[in-house]
Amino acid sequence: MIRIQDLMFAYEKHLPPVLQIPDLIIKEGEYTALIGPNGCGKTTLIRHFNALLLPSAGGVWIDDLNTREARNLVEIRRRVGMIFQNPDNQIVGMSVEEDVAFGPGNLGLPSAEVGRRVKEALAMVGLTGLETQPPYTLSGGQKQLLALAGLLAMDPKFIILDEPTSSLDPAARQKVLSLLQNLRQQGIGIVHITHDMDEASRADRVLVLDQGKLAADGSPAAILTRVEWLKALGLAPTQVTELMWKLRQRGETMATNILALDEAVNEISGLLERLRASSNGGLPGKAGRSV
Amino acid sequence: MLPVTAAFPERRGGVYNLGVYVHRSSPVHRLDPRVKIIAVIVFSIIILQADVISLLAATGLALAISGLARIPVRTLLAALHPVLPFFFFLFLMYVFFTPAAGKRLLDWGVIQIGYQGVAVGLLQTGRFILLVIIASILTMTTSSSEITIGLERLLRPLKIIRISSHDIALMVALALRFIPTLLQEMNSIKEAQLARGANFKTGAIRGRMRAAMHLIEPLTLSIFRHCDELVDAMEARGYRQGERTYLREPVFSRADYCVTGIMIIIVITMLVW
Repeated sequence: MIRIQDLMFAYEKHLPPVLQIPDLIIKEGEYTALIGPNGCGKTTLIRHFNALLLPSAGGVWIDDLNTREARNLVEIRRRVGMIFQNPDNQIVGMSVEEDVAFGPGNLGLPSAEVGRRVKEALAMVGLTGLETQPPYTLSGGQKQLLALAGLLAMDPKFIILDEPTSSLDPAARQKVLSLLQNLRQQGIGIVHITHDMDEASRADRVLVLDQGKLAADGSPAAILTRVEWLKALGLAPTQVTELMWKLRQRGETMATNILALDEAVNEISGLLERLRASSNGGLPGKAGRSV
Repeated sequence: MLPVTAAFPERRGGVYNLGVYVHRSSPVHRLDPRVKIIAVIVFSIIILQADVISLLAATGLALAISGLARIPVRTLLAALHPVLPFFFFLFLMYVFFTPAAGKRLLDWGVIQIGYQGVAVGLLQTGRFILLVIIASILTMTTSSSEITIGLERLLRPLKIIRISSHDIALMVALALRFIPTLLQEMNSIKEAQLARGANFKTGAIRGRMRAAMHLIEPLTLSIFRHCDELVDAMEARGYRQGERTYLREPVFSRADYCVTGIMIIIVITMLVW
């Protein structure tokens, strides 16, 4: 469990705070999407989760470990793994297997155990067979999977990702996203910063950050369907939610909590059904409707 | 999987060819990296003091070792290729600047070339060529990760002057790890500038130098950016000062004891002699 209490963060004492979160709890096995406009403090917030940043006031706890205490540092970083945007800058090793071994090596595990974990982690992300490859021979997607394997080898409770898919092609993106779903099912807590509302819609919970404050916290269906509000924040709603919103704008009666494509299809065919009935079985068209 | 040379053309020629690891299963490959590093150091000291006969003997030994390591002579010579101009220059320096005593090859007043100059030039150049060859044998038979872990172990005594051998090993590893990344980056910067009309190949030296400078500047900035993010990523993965473990710890085998024994004998003979 990641627990935040009265968190305030400012880069300098005399500067205004860039982050103010009164309280927040993130649980294991929960997939949380963190969204918000550029510069709203998303990255600053997640950097508090593994003690890369320490709060100016208030505190952050991983289970019962306070991030302020230096002796907790290694254990906190074992429990809370972090993936950054650019995969190239998080690869340390000269070969795939050695890179995965970096984290367990930092924990001081014996070689045999390191080896076992490397093998397991590579199998989990599907990079088995590439052990001795130098990392620069991998594709962008494989590099991001390698970074994930590096975290999994540390047996984390949480994985925090800062726009992990922004530089990936669609196929690689799907692979990373479905792997995250798998990990969530295995009980790992995922916190995923994203600009893509389609990615956010796969989460269990959506947190919206605006100007350093928590502007909303709820289910994807409750938050991502607030199309106008998201747009005002400078976020791009999903096509499905925007379509439903535009139909509502035209005065159609549509449910307000539709997020998935299938639900939207049902809703629209329902609408067509109603129109067909009202125009005595004729197919609805522009002419038909104006009657 | 593509052959390495097809996917990474920079491996085919240029500086990058200097002693790239050649994956083989041989007794030389299996030696403990610590033993190999020390052997190269001992060998180098011997070479720097060798006369012609011992130099020839040492060359023979180096070729025998590379044969044992199943590295083709051609690969070994390819490693020499990038440094040949430097050696040629070195040879000329000896030829022209050794005082010409005794019999002269050439006597043009100011410029005098003696047989001695040529002899010394050949000997010195031979020594340097052999140094490069044995260093290449080390890097061709030892992966960079083995070399770093070997260095880490050998430098452990530095702990008494509060220098962490883990940090040094990591620095070496990171430098090696980022060479290909930075090469790729330099190529993309170069292409971006070519696309906007830059010219690196023709024109006056001054203009080409300036074009090269325009490469260095963005590359330096990007190195700093890499560093920044890398430090965060390393910390996030639990890196800290102090002890850490590795995937493969070097193990001392019987062959390692033999080679170490031979080296000790050689060093003692040299000292006594």
